[in-house]
Amino acid sequence: MNNNWIRYVLVFILIVLIQGLVVNNIQWSEYLNPMVYPIMILMLPFQLNAIITMFVALLLGLSVDAFSDAFGLHASAAVLIGYLRPSLMKYIRPKEGYDNNLLPTIQDMGAIWFLIYASIILIIHHLWFFSMEILRFDLILLILGKTILSFLFSLTLIILFQYIFYKPSKS
Amino acid sequence: MRRLFQFLKKFRDFIIFLFLQLFVLGFFFNSKNYHKATMMNSSSGVVGWFIEKKNNITKHFNLSEANDSLALENAQLRAQLPESFYRLQDRVYFVNDTLCEQQYEYIPAQVINSSDNKRDNYFTLNKGTKSGVQEGMGVISKDGIVGFVVDASTHYSLVKTVLSENINISVKLKKNNEHWFLKWDGTDNKIVQLNGVTHDIDIEVGDTIVTRGNKGVFPENQLVGFVNEIFTVDGKSTMNVNVELGVNFSSIYHVYVVRNYLRHEQELLERDLFELDEQ
Repeated sequence: MNNNWIRYVLVFILIVLIQGLVVNNIQWSEYLNPMVYPIMILMLPFQLNAIITMFVALLLGLSVDAFSDAFGLHASAAVLIGYLRPSLMKYIRPKEGYDNNLLPTIQDMGAIWFLIYASIILIIHHLWFFSMEILRFDLILLILGKTILSFLFSLTLIILFQYIFYKPSKS
Repeated sequence: MRRLFQFLKKFRDFIIFLFLQLFVLGFFFNSKNYHKATMMNSSSGVVGWFIEKKNNITKHFNLSEANDSLALENAQLRAQLPESFYRLQDRVYFVNDTLCEQQYEYIPAQVINSSDNKRDNYFTLNKGTKSGVQEGMGVISKDGIVGFVVDASTHYSLVKTVLSENINISVKLKKNNEHWFLKWDGTDNKIVQLNGVTHDIDIEVGDTIVTRGNKGVFPENQLVGFVNEIFTVDGKSTMNVNVELGVNFSSIYHVYVVRNYLRHEQELLERDLFELDEQ
């Protein structure tokens, strides 16, 4: 258990640095603003309640904000998905329920379950992020365009990173 | 009372969620309305250190382009040196001290962190209060104006760029001194807008837009960009003008922070004026 928490803290720091120093520099187009840090919230244990998830998300978001000069925008989107994650987990629960020894990864839960889970959370996150950033009805196509393109890119990165950071759990 | 507790327990998660959202969104929208960066940003301690380390590596990637543009600028400046001119009147260069008083000084700085695809775009510079950078100073580059400093720590400073909402920099048309506020609508990072241009103004595609220099943030006549497109809006008495920026915000590296020695004097004088106005 102890060991696990140290691991989470290390992954947290690493993900903030990767987002802040590497992924933030991917600026090929105004439509492309990939965000890889939601993987930290995606990969939290199944049984974690909404309050702890939200505070982890707040800390994560504020750290990313400090690197990208967004003043709370990332934190807002992260807290939103932190709040919605436990409810979403109930909706997409597999028939046999969740095994607390496993993690929500592709290796443990299967590709289809993971894609549904990650896509829903990421789309909510990106839509909220770009809506709050732009906040204009007449630019709704810009918001949707940014959301969809950045979502596809973020999802690819997150799948890549989850193979790097998270090994299959032995159960 | 018990019902209240039951209610609080039932909606505990949602109440905490709402509270956190108010907290962070409050920060976010405050950062838009005031030209001030109150929260932690990339000019602060630990984050600035990491970004500086990253920049130590990545700055080498486009060193040759940076050198080329600096060499070009050097050549241009060298052409303006007194030595490059043939002296027609010997005395001209010696009366400088009594005729002119230095008003602007430029602090060279490098952009170590930047964005150009957000709604509000900020740069981090590697110079801070130790080099004389202070809040409110303008930032220019050889291709035109960049933005102004919103926050400065000891070694770093944060610049709000022209590509931001509510930027409102006062600019004018070079040929006839008509002036407006510069805006950015957030769609294209090479194009900014001038709103409220009336039909009687002689403005054409290709005209040069420069700073007005009325607040002392930027010197007068610094390049902003060139008129790119003029279009009328149905039912409005004014035209919208698109201005193509001189600066390429995606590849900017060397910039200068403008220090104005006379700004305080101007502010003192104008403050008295506005106080009189209000009475």
